[in-house]
Amino acid sequence: MTEIGTITPLGHGELLATESASSSRSYFRQIVDSVLRRVGAILGAIWIGTLVLLAVFSPLIANSHPCLMEKDGHWSSPMLAHLSAGDVILQTLFWSGAVLYFIPKPRRQTRLILWICVSVLAIGIFPFIINPPTIVEYQIYREDQQAGKIEKVFYAPIPFSPDDHLFDQMEMRLTAPSRIHWMGTTSDSADLLSNMIYATRIALSIGFISTGIALIIGVIIGGLMGYYVGWIDLLGMRLVEIFDAIPTLLLLLCFVAIFTPNLYIMMAIIGATSWVGYAYFIRAEFLSLRQRDFVQAARAAGLPVRSILFRHMLPNGLTPLIVSASFGVASAILVESTLSFLGIGLVNEASWGNLLNQAVGEGGTFYWWIALYPGLAIFLTVFAYNLIGEALRDALDPKLQENK
Amino acid sequence: MPTPLLEVRDLTVAFDTPRGQIRPVQNVSLSVYPGQTLAVVGESGCGKSVTALSILRLIPSPPGRVLGGQVLFNGKDLLQLSEKQMQSVRGKDIAMIFQEPMTSLNPVFTVGEQIVEAVQLHQNVGTRQAYEIAEQAMQDVGIADPHKRIHEYPHRLSGGMRQRVMIAMALSCRPKLLIADEPTTALDVTIQAQILELLRKLQEEKQMAVMLITHDLGVVAENADAVAVMYASKVVEYAAVNDLFDSPKHPYTEGLFRAMPRLGRPGGRLQTIAGAVPNPRRFPSGCKFHPRCPRMNGDALCTQKEPELREIATRHWASCHHIENFAAAPITPPTSDAIRKDAEAPA
Repeated sequence: MTEIGTITPLGHGELLATESASSSRSYFRQIVDSVLRRVGAILGAIWIGTLVLLAVFSPLIANSHPCLMEKDGHWSSPMLAHLSAGDVILQTLFWSGAVLYFIPKPRRQTRLILWICVSVLAIGIFPFIINPPTIVEYQIYREDQQAGKIEKVFYAPIPFSPDDHLFDQMEMRLTAPSRIHWMGTTSDSADLLSNMIYATRIALSIGFISTGIALIIGVIIGGLMGYYVGWIDLLGMRLVEIFDAIPTLLLLLCFVAIFTPNLYIMMAIIGATSWVGYAYFIRAEFLSLRQRDFVQAARAAGLPVRSILFRHMLPNGLTPLIVSASFGVASAILVESTLSFLGIGLVNEASWGNLLNQAVGEGGTFYWWIALYPGLAIFLTVFAYNLIGEALRDALDPKLQENK
Repeated sequence: MPTPLLEVRDLTVAFDTPRGQIRPVQNVSLSVYPGQTLAVVGESGCGKSVTALSILRLIPSPPGRVLGGQVLFNGKDLLQLSEKQMQSVRGKDIAMIFQEPMTSLNPVFTVGEQIVEAVQLHQNVGTRQAYEIAEQAMQDVGIADPHKRIHEYPHRLSGGMRQRVMIAMALSCRPKLLIADEPTTALDVTIQAQILELLRKLQEEKQMAVMLITHDLGVVAENADAVAVMYASKVVEYAAVNDLFDSPKHPYTEGLFRAMPRLGRPGGRLQTIAGAVPNPRRFPSGCKFHPRCPRMNGDALCTQKEPELREIATRHWASCHHIENFAAAPITPPTSDAIRKDAEAPA
C-alpha cells in the first residue's frame, strides 16, 4: 500500500517520450488540415482567397486616377490622394493581419488581440483624418494627357474606376468586351471589369457579416432554448417556427420596404432572416451537451451560466454550425444578388446583382457580357463556398472518418 | 461533539415524469464533520447520487425538485440561496468529483485551461499565478511532469490521470468539503487504490471533509469514519464505521456484508440478497425492504408501517421493526479488520 500513492517515474518517462513525438494538435487545426486535403476545397479556398485579394487591392488594380504622373515637372500620385478611408482601413487590416500572422513571437491569442486593437483603432481614426476630394473628374487625366500637359503617366492595370462614367467618351456606352474594356461597359458607361472587382468587397462582406449576424442570433436563441429547456424552450421554438413559416423573400421585401437599403441595413436584414437554421442546430446540440459529464462538472465547479454556455458547451456544439454557416455565406450572396437583381437592393454601389440587373436594357435588348461575367462570378463564389462547406462536413463527420 | 460542517435534514427530492412523480430521495438526514469522511453506500438507484447532486443543487430542474428538508452548510441553508450565491459555494466551499473521468473533462480545452478557469473564478489571482496554482495542484495529485502535462488536451491522458486532474481541479480552490461520487468506479483496481490513497492523503493534508459515495464496502472500510447505508431512497442505517462493520443492525446491511467475497475463504457460492431493487415508481408498502427481508415472516407491521430511523445504540441508527428481536440472532458479519485486510490485499 505504501508505494501506491506515488507514480513510478520509469513508466511515465516512457509514456512521455512516445507521446511527445507527435505534437499536440488542437481539434480545429486537425479539421483545417483535413479540409485542405481535398482538391475541391483547395480550389474553393483559392477562389475565395483571390476574391479577398481583389477586394483589398481593388483601388490599386482598377483606378482611373494614375498611380504616378509627372505634370509640370513634378511627380504626384492622384491614386493615393484619392484613396478613401475604407480603402486605407482595408489595407491596414490586411497588412497588420499578415504581419501578425507570420511573426512567431507572442502567443497566438496575444497576436489576435493585437490585431483586433489595430483594427478598432484604424476604424476609429481613419474616417476622421482621411478626406479625399469628394468631386472627382476622371476624364481630366485623359484630356490632359491628350493635350500633352502630362509628361509621364503610369496607370493601374485596369485604368477605370467603377464610377468613371467616361463622360469624355460617350460612344463607349454598352460596348461589348474589347482591348480597352476587357469585359465591356455597362449602361452608364462604366467599365464592367472594374465594377466586378469592386463588387467583390460587397460579395465578401455581405456573406460574412450577415452570416455572422445570423449566427449570433441563432446561437443565443438556440443556446438558451437548449440549455434551459422547459418553458423557455417552448416559447423559443414557437418563435423559431413563426420565422420559419414566413417565406424569406417576402420577409426581406417587407424589411426592404420599411428601411431604405444601404449596405449595413442589407446585412442586418439578411442576418435577421436566416438565423432559424442555426437556432435549430445549436438547440439540438445543447440538448445533448447539457447531459454530458463535463458540463455537469463545470456546473459543480461553480462556473457561471455564461461560461458554461459559451466557453464549455458552444465549442463542442459548433461543428454542425461551421458547416451550415459556410453554406449560409453562399446563400447570403445569392440573396443579395436576388434583391439587387429585382432592383430593390443596393443603390449606387457596385454589386454583382446590380450589374446583372443591367443585362436587359430598355426595349428588351440583351447585353450578354453583363449577364455572363457577374453571373459567372456569383456562380463560382457560391460554388466555392459549397465546396468548402462539403469538405468541412466530411471532415467533421466521425462516421465518414472511420471508413477511410 | 463538534458541530457538523454539512448537515442534511429530512431531504426529499422528487422527479416529475410523464408517468407520475417519483421520489428517489426521501427524508434523508446526514451529517459530515470537519476533516472526516462520510461514506454513503447502497445499490445503484438507491438515491446516493441524487442526494449528492441536490446538496450542490445540481439536479436537473425540471424534472427534479426538492420537496422538503434543509441542507445546512456551516449553518446556512444552501436550498435558500440564490443561484448566484450558490455559484460561489460550488467549487469554492464544496467541490465535487464524478464517476466518469473519461468524459468529465472538456475535450476542447487543455487541462491547464480548465483548472485555471476554476482557480480564477474563486480566487482573485492573475493568469500567471493561476497557472502556478494549477501546476502545484497537479503536482499534489501525483501527475508526473505537470509543467508539460498542463498544456495537454484531455484525450492524451489515461483514465487515472484524468481523475487526478479532476481531483486537482476540485482541490485547487481548497474546498472545505469534497463530494466524491463513486470516484473510482470507472477505473481499474490498481488505479482505484492509488486514487483512494491520494484522496486520503490530501484530505489529511488539507483538513478537508469528504462525502464518499460508493457501493464498494472495501472502500468504505478503508476510508470512512462514518457510514450511511441507503436503500430505496432512504437511509436505513447510519453509524460509525467500526460499529457498523462490527454489528450491522439492519437486515439489508447484513445482507450486503454476507454478499461480499473475501480473500482466503475459497469455495462456495456468494450469498445474495433475494429479489431485486424495487422500482422507484412502485415502492413496496410499509418497510421498503420487506419483500426481500429474511426477517420477514408474514408480519403485518412490516408490510404496513414504514419503520423510522431510530438510535439503537449510541450514535448508531437503523430503521427496522425487528432489531431487538434479532439482536441475539447468530449472524457473523466480517469484522472491519478482516475487510480492511481484504481491501489491502489486491495492492
